[in-house]
Amino acid sequence: MFLKKINIWHISSFIISLIVAVPILTVFASFFDPTGNYSAILKNTFLYEYIYNSLVLLIGVLILTFFIGVTCAYLVSFYNFPGVSFFRWALILSFAVPAYIYAYSLTAFFENYGTAFSILKNLFGEINYNPYIPKFDGMLGAILSISFSLFGYVYVLTRVSFHYQSQNLIELGKNLGFSKKKSFFKIILPSARPAIVAGLSLVAMETLSDFGSVSFFGISTLTTGIYNAWISFDDLALANRLSFYLLIFILSLFILENYSRKKAQYHTLIKSGIKKRNSIDLNSKKAFLAFLFCATVFFISFLFPVLQMLYWTINFPKHLADLDLIKLLSNTMLLVFLSSFVLISLSFISNYGNRLARSKFLNILTTFSVSGYAIPGIILAVAFITFISWFDNTVINFFGIKTIKSIFIGSILGLILVYFIRFYSLASNGIKSSYLKISYSIDESAYLLGYSKFKTFTNIHIPFLKNSMLLVGVLIAIEIIKELPITLIMRPFNFETFATTAYIFASQDLLEAAAAPSLFLIIIASFFILITSRYILRD
Amino acid sequence: MIKNFLEIDNVTFAASAKNKVNNVSLRIENKGDIICLLGPSGIGKTTILRTIAGLEKVQSGKITLNNRVLSSKDKHVEPENRNISLAFQDNSLFPHYNVIQNIEFGAERNKSKKKNLTINEAVNFLHLKNVVNKFPHQISSGEAQRASLARSLVSNPDLLLLDEPLSNIDQNFKEEIQVKLKKVLTEHKITTIIVTHDSYEAFYLGSKCGIILNGQLKQYDDPYNVYHFPNSIEVVNFLNRGTLIPAKVTGENSLESNDLGTIKGNFIKHYPKGSDVKLLIQPEDLEHDDGSNLKLEVVDRQFRGTNFIYTLKTSSNLLIPVFVHSHHIHQHEVDEKFGIKRPINIDHIVCF
Repeated sequence: MFLKKINIWHISSFIISLIVAVPILTVFASFFDPTGNYSAILKNTFLYEYIYNSLVLLIGVLILTFFIGVTCAYLVSFYNFPGVSFFRWALILSFAVPAYIYAYSLTAFFENYGTAFSILKNLFGEINYNPYIPKFDGMLGAILSISFSLFGYVYVLTRVSFHYQSQNLIELGKNLGFSKKKSFFKIILPSARPAIVAGLSLVAMETLSDFGSVSFFGISTLTTGIYNAWISFDDLALANRLSFYLLIFILSLFILENYSRKKAQYHTLIKSGIKKRNSIDLNSKKAFLAFLFCATVFFISFLFPVLQMLYWTINFPKHLADLDLIKLLSNTMLLVFLSSFVLISLSFISNYGNRLARSKFLNILTTFSVSGYAIPGIILAVAFITFISWFDNTVINFFGIKTIKSIFIGSILGLILVYFIRFYSLASNGIKSSYLKISYSIDESAYLLGYSKFKTFTNIHIPFLKNSMLLVGVLIAIEIIKELPITLIMRPFNFETFATTAYIFASQDLLEAAAAPSLFLIIIASFFILITSRYILRD
Repeated sequence: MIKNFLEIDNVTFAASAKNKVNNVSLRIENKGDIICLLGPSGIGKTTILRTIAGLEKVQSGKITLNNRVLSSKDKHVEPENRNISLAFQDNSLFPHYNVIQNIEFGAERNKSKKKNLTINEAVNFLHLKNVVNKFPHQISSGEAQRASLARSLVSNPDLLLLDEPLSNIDQNFKEEIQVKLKKVLTEHKITTIIVTHDSYEAFYLGSKCGIILNGQLKQYDDPYNVYHFPNSIEVVNFLNRGTLIPAKVTGENSLESNDLGTIKGNFIKHYPKGSDVKLLIQPEDLEHDDGSNLKLEVVDRQFRGTNFIYTLKTSSNLLIPVFVHSHHIHQHEVDEKFGIKRPINIDHIVCF
């Protein structure tokens, strides 16, 4: 009976989910592998520091992103003030600036004899300003960099939730005699709670998996620990064990996020019969303050890193001239197109397979496999290499075939595969959320009109989902353009993207040289964000 | 060789462990017959349609259409290969196509066959002319339901299944569409099973009605018999068109009730003299007569346009409905006394 149920769609969906789940399973499986001496040393020395730093970083970033994200969302959703329409979409441009590029800008501006020093010198003459310029490095620098780079998650999700809060809800507060402050804390904020929690969970996952900015500021977190265990001490087993701890922590956050999303019907969706809310006009003083807040956030989160990179790019034209822009652009876009194609196609097949099968097992496997997004890129890359090595040493050797390592490690194929695992959740969930809008009775109507499963997929689903497909494609593009650790570990020899070029220069303390690739990276990502801003802010 | 057009043999319809209709056997004898399935919400009526359409599998029994086995324990013809059309209760229009394109999807099926109904005919009789270029989200639920019905009708199916087809349609349209729908189905000989919870709709549209209660097909008969000769107390309670009062059988054609006195009529089933029974009193069984000495208290009066339904309280606090023609002079208010004509003669006596 079970075998009768199986068809090509079910099998495809199962295989896709399994491929995505492999690195997670590898991390779990390698938990019991013997580790080297470094493990004992680490336990007695740095392990607690790693955990402590990770927690401090996480808490700092969560507080800051909550404050910035929710305040901006509240202001642009409920009030009218100069520039509000601009800020509504401009604030999401912060997505274009990866935390590591933000970190470079922060350091470049505030370091001794940095940009701030030059500005002061040009304005007020040459004295030693260095003691008066605040330094944003170490933990503070990392918290600021990550927060300004990630607050967009909280902003976007909270804004959507605020946007769909109906006038009825606000009027209910007025009816009960609530002040504006009380309405905010008792009605508006609680009704957006799931969205805020969802945004903060994404921030938390990204923070814990951040590698670029923490390594730049020299903060030892669990993620950098994994990298060190593997690269510096060649202890893959320990890297996997640390990954395991981090994975458990991240999976707990993921479950929390998933749980909160299930109840995401707190806010009332505007449909006929529910009044749409009108924004409130602020008086001039309050309007100025609202404008100032949003303008400051926009400046700090987006303009500041862009201007800093632009300043350097112009001041050091030699670095720009040395850059093979065409090569970097074509490499970046090659990865974007290949990954988008693979991710969207396979997500479609897997979602349709799941839809047809309605199998609990397949659903559990999919839920498990999409947690790949919550796993730091480094862990995925390490786990993937571990798995390929194991597979090569056991299965491939057993059949006497030549090694397959070179096909998957240090190759475009391997890189795309790990991207696939990392961003599968983004693609799959994006398509799934649109799929959920198509009720099952639509499929059934098609069958009853004589359409086969395949024809239903091609003639009914694909035309309906083509917009979501494009949106998902662009979101994948933004992520891949910014992605650093996977590209760094998995890329073929001499294959560089804007992200890896910027990182390599920055890690050699050549921040000026990192400016041009960083600037191009931000420009391309901003372009993709702009063309999808309407969808991002709506859905 | 099976003679019936559709045969459902001892099939258990189950969407879930809770939602089950057990051991249903049902026949549609001729092509073009219309039957209605009646039952309360959530009883499994839709599951029956979905199973016949092939969207659910049968666990036991057999479904045969036009001598072809569609479902059995070992066989399951996929829905797309059955040529059965199901119009869902909810809006199942393709959201990215407009109304006319949705209807055309239906017409694409069985292109080569002679059409029952053209797209234009369907659009006209279902009053869809003004919305043909609109998308499903731009039209009302009633319009969506009519569009879905049109799509099913033009698909030229061997068997048409309609799940609460008129539930979202405005009352002023509903009766007109009921009449036209029946005409279209009959003229084009479209064999149809209609699921509804509206007994008036079922009695009008169906040549036969099935009553589904407590996970079973309780009665399957023509509408007149279902109404006048319900075969169980559950069916009486479900139809809610009468009251059961205690009575004692006093002879071949008579009963005695403490509340109404002597009642005469033809028993549809034999009961020995002296038996205690529950007698079904339907609104049209009693006649108004203020000259009568049998007076009952009015507790409610419903004006239905063509008639009034009085609810009367007996001495033992039983509530009895009485039908009175709208133009009859009988304006009794609540708490007044209402006379019942004696002797009471009921055409057919139904007891349990």
